[in-house]
This record gives sequence, C-alpha cells and structure tokens, in this order.
Amino acid sequence: MDSQKVKLKLEHISQSYIVKNQVFDAAVDVSMEVRDSEFLVLLGPGRCGKTILLNMIAGLEKPVDGKIYLDGEEINGSDERIGMVFQKRALMPWKTVMQNVEFGPKIKGVPKEQRREIAQKYIDLVGLQGFEKSYPDELSGGMKQRVSIARAYANNPEILLMDEPFGALDAQTRYAMEEEVQRIWQAEKRTVIFVTNNIEEALYLADRIVLLSNCPAHVKAVYDINLPRPRDTIDPEFLRLRKEISDNTDLAL
Amino acid sequence: MRKEHEEIFLSEYERKELLRNRIYGVLPVLAIILLICLWFAASSNPASKFPSPMSVWERYLKILEKPIKDLGLMGHIWASLKRVFIALAFAWLLGISFGILIGWNKKANALLGPIFTAFRAVPPLAWVPLVTMWFGIGEFPKVLIVFVGALMPVVVNTQAGIANVQKEYMDIGTIFHANEWQMLTEIAIPSALDAIFAGIRNSTSAGWMVVLAAEMLGGKSGVGFLIVRGMDSGDYPLCLLSMICIGVVGYLLAIVIQFLERIICPWTAKKSN
Ligand SMILES: Nc1ncnc2c1ncn2[C@@H]1O[C@H](COP(=O)(O)OP(=O)(O)OP(=O)(O)O)[C@@H](O)[C@H]1O
Ligand SMILES: [Mg+2]
Repeated sequence: MDSQKVKLKLEHISQSYIVKNQVFDAAVDVSMEVRDSEFLVLLGPGRCGKTILLNMIAGLEKPVDGKIYLDGEEINGSDERIGMVFQKRALMPWKTVMQNVEFGPKIKGVPKEQRREIAQKYIDLVGLQGFEKSYPDELSGGMKQRVSIARAYANNPEILLMDEPFGALDAQTRYAMEEEVQRIWQAEKRTVIFVTNNIEEALYLADRIVLLSNCPAHVKAVYDINLPRPRDTIDPEFLRLRKEISDNTDLAL
Repeated sequence: MRKEHEEIFLSEYERKELLRNRIYGVLPVLAIILLICLWFAASSNPASKFPSPMSVWERYLKILEKPIKDLGLMGHIWASLKRVFIALAFAWLLGISFGILIGWNKKANALLGPIFTAFRAVPPLAWVPLVTMWFGIGEFPKVLIVFVGALMPVVVNTQAGIANVQKEYMDIGTIFHANEWQMLTEIAIPSALDAIFAGIRNSTSAGWMVVLAAEMLGGKSGVGFLIVRGMDSGDYPLCLLSMICIGVVGYLLAIVIQFLERIICPWTAKKSN
C-alpha cells in the first residue's frame, strides 16, 4: 500500500453562520490532505471550530465554500465510507451495547446472525465482552466511548473521524483509552482523523498533527511526527516537539 | 480491573438506595395514618355532618350484602374501568399514530396542528350535549367522551417528543445512512418514548376522571353513578366510599402504567444516577 496516497482532501473549506443578524465565520479557507491509513490529529484550542470541520467531512453540515474529495472524487453529504465517534451523546441510550454496535450493519440490512457476529468481534476488540446486554447509562464514561468506537468500526468505514472522544474522561482513563485506540488502530488499519485540544494526546497518537488557529479555524502548521510507537511521553524529542507546538498554539479565548 | 471497579460502585450505590427506600416506604404510611386521624377528628363533631370512618366502613359492608342496581361495589368499579380501558385502547392507538404523524411531518403539522390545538381547548364534557343528541345515553357515548378526554394528552406529548428529538441522535442516523423510515423507527420513536409515556400517564388519569363525570350525567352503573345515587338519597357515606374507591383505583392505575413503562423502556429503569 502506498502510504503517501491522498485519501481525503479538503480544498478551501469555509463555514459561517448567521448569528444575531451578523455573519460569524467559524472556519476560513481550510485546506489539507489526509493520507491513506494515517493517523491524523487535528489539534486546536477549545471552541475553535474542530467539530464543525469534522461535521463537514462527515456530511452533517454543508460548507458555505470549498470542496471535499474522497479518493479523488468530490463528496456531498454523508458518505458510507466515513464513520464517526461523536463528542456528545454518542450512544443511543435506548439500545443495549450490542444493539448500538450492530446499528450500522442493521441499517444496511445485514441479517441478524451475521451482524451480531460482526458486532461481537468489535465488542471483544474494545474489551467489553460481558457487557453486551448493558444499557449505556449503566456504563462508565470510558466504557461508553469504547462502545462508540466499536460501533464506528463495525460499520467498516474507510475513514474514521473521532471528535475529542476522551475529552470528558479523567486523566487515568484517558491514558488507558489512548493506548487502546493506538492498539485498535494498529490491529485494524484505517485512516483516522482524531480531534483533540490536548497536545500530549496529539503527540502520543499522531502520524501527523494539523494545528488549527483560534476561531475562525484555519491551518496554522502541520507537523510530521516520526517517533517510534508506543511513544514515550518523557522522551527528549517528544518533549521538544511538545514545547514547539505549544509555543505555536493560540490560547483559547 | 475495570469490571471490579464497576461492581463495587454499583453495590455501594445499591446499599445507599436500600437505606433511602426504607425511609420512602415509611413516609406514605405515615401520611395515610395522619389523614385517617384527621378524618376522625373532623367527623367527631356531629355539626360538621361529615361521614365518619365507621359509617363509611358500615356502608361498605352493606353494599357487599345489598347490591345497587344488581351490581356490587366491585361491579360498579369494573363497569367504569371497562369504559376507560376501551376508550384508552383507541386513544393510545390513534393518539400515538396521529402524534407521530404531526410530530414528524412538518406539512401535516402545518395542516392539522392548528385545528387540533383549537379542539384541545374544548373540555371533554362540553361534548356531552352533542354526543347525547347523536348517540343517546347508552354505553357508546360514555366511551366516546372518555376517548376524547384521553386522546388529547397522548397526541400532544407524542407530537412534542417526536418533533424535539435531539440533533445529536439524528446525526447518528445520518452518519450510518439511515433512510427516513429507519430514522423514525430506530431513532425518533425510541427517543420519544418517555414523552409518549408521559402522554399515556396523563391520558389514563384524564380518562379515569372523565368517565366518572360522564357517569354522573346519566347511566345505571359505574362509580360516578354511585356518587349521584348517594347524593340523591342523602347517603353521604356512599359518596365518600365511592370517592375513596376512585382514589385507590386511580393510584393502582398509575402503578400499572409505571410497570408497563419499565417493561417497554427497560433502559430508563436502569439509569444509575
Ligand atoms: N450551528 C451553529 N450556528 C452558529 N454558531 C455555531 C454553530 N455551530 C458551532 N458554532 C460556533 O462555532 C464555534 C466553533 O464550534 P465547534 O463546536 O466546532 O468548536 P470545537 O472546536 O469543536 O470546540 P470544543 O473544543 O468545545 O469541542 C463556536 O463558537 C460555536 O459556538
Ligand atoms: Mg467540538
């Protein structure tokens, strides 16, 4: 596989809203390329427009300007090849873990037995065997995000968008989940676009980091991270990069 | 590790819950005892003409021996309940369907919403003259009036629940390419179920109230009829006895609905906070 092949391309993407009769720019002229099977991290301060960017890639909202290409073809609206792990209200509380994870195949009309098998594979992969019949409200925050990740994978997407999946977790669980996501990504190579506002998390996970500015979002810098995995967070090179990116980051307003 | 942690958390929670439940079990009993004491006090003064607990108890024993219009107390309660159940079955079926239609389809809501809102303002009992004119005073007109009273809350709550599904849940459907039917059945309706159940709860209590009022206007059976009978013959213990039955049955109906909700929406019962 050619790892330099461009999987997804954003061209001059802008987004604005009318807020109180005024035009509010949320993203201005964002262009970037996402390579096949890479782990790309979008790093940006809080409320800078990260979710909006992902929503546009996912087809949940339309940009006012610009184009998005997947495998060289322009896409409009949501695409089957793109999956998403949401930042908020990720799971359907009326469905059990199993029912949540098998949702994608079920929507596609995969017969019950077959989709259960697929779902079970990913439930096992995220380490939730034994919780198939639990409802989301019975699970801890970390477990919920595991379900959300399993659900996205079970639909077999080519690109996986993850919107601050661990933002609401405590530090301990967060570290564990970061390791987990890296393990899953290595086991099931997909193109991942991972959003975070945490520099350390970005450095731990990313092949490349796209640094975004404050709102309205635009690309400030792109960093290639060539450290060996799993990464050592106190390695001098890690710390140097961390400082370099940190110095270049806008403070959240 | 994680699983152990989860179990400890739950059991701790359960222990607290148990303690809390004990208090919540005692308080209602206390309230009932207090109410009966008040009742004794209020009726101890003959000038108040308030039927005493003893006289109501005696009236209860008497109705067991001597039915009114061929029906015992249970017979009359059942007569009222039957009307409510038939009316509720139709109100739920039609009300939920109609509520989903105007909650989901903006055009249908624009077309039918205003008419429905105007109809809502008319209290069910205002239909009595017209319904009596059309259908006389048999069984059907009573059921019809209860149906009208029970329909409104189901439609209103279902419509609101379906129209206000959180965008985040709809986004899940969009990401997985659900079609409109799947959006409705997999996401909108389940997420609106607690609103729909609020409607079902309200319609049950509304139906139970309206049936008694409808029976007071004419008829030969039902708890509402017993109250009118007591009033006409100066038999106030009978009135009070009927009122107590109304309260108890209303309470039991609420419990049945709650039980139903737990079975149909098991996830709401399992919320841990
Ligand atoms: N539909 C909308 N209409 C108007 N303003 C919006 C809309 N959606 C988002 N915004 C605004 O755009 C800005 C960026 O929002 P966005 O949710 O993308 O930020 P974010 O980077 O994901 O933030 P966070 O780190 O909190 O998740 C915010 O100021 C937000 O209030
Ligand atoms: Mg966000």
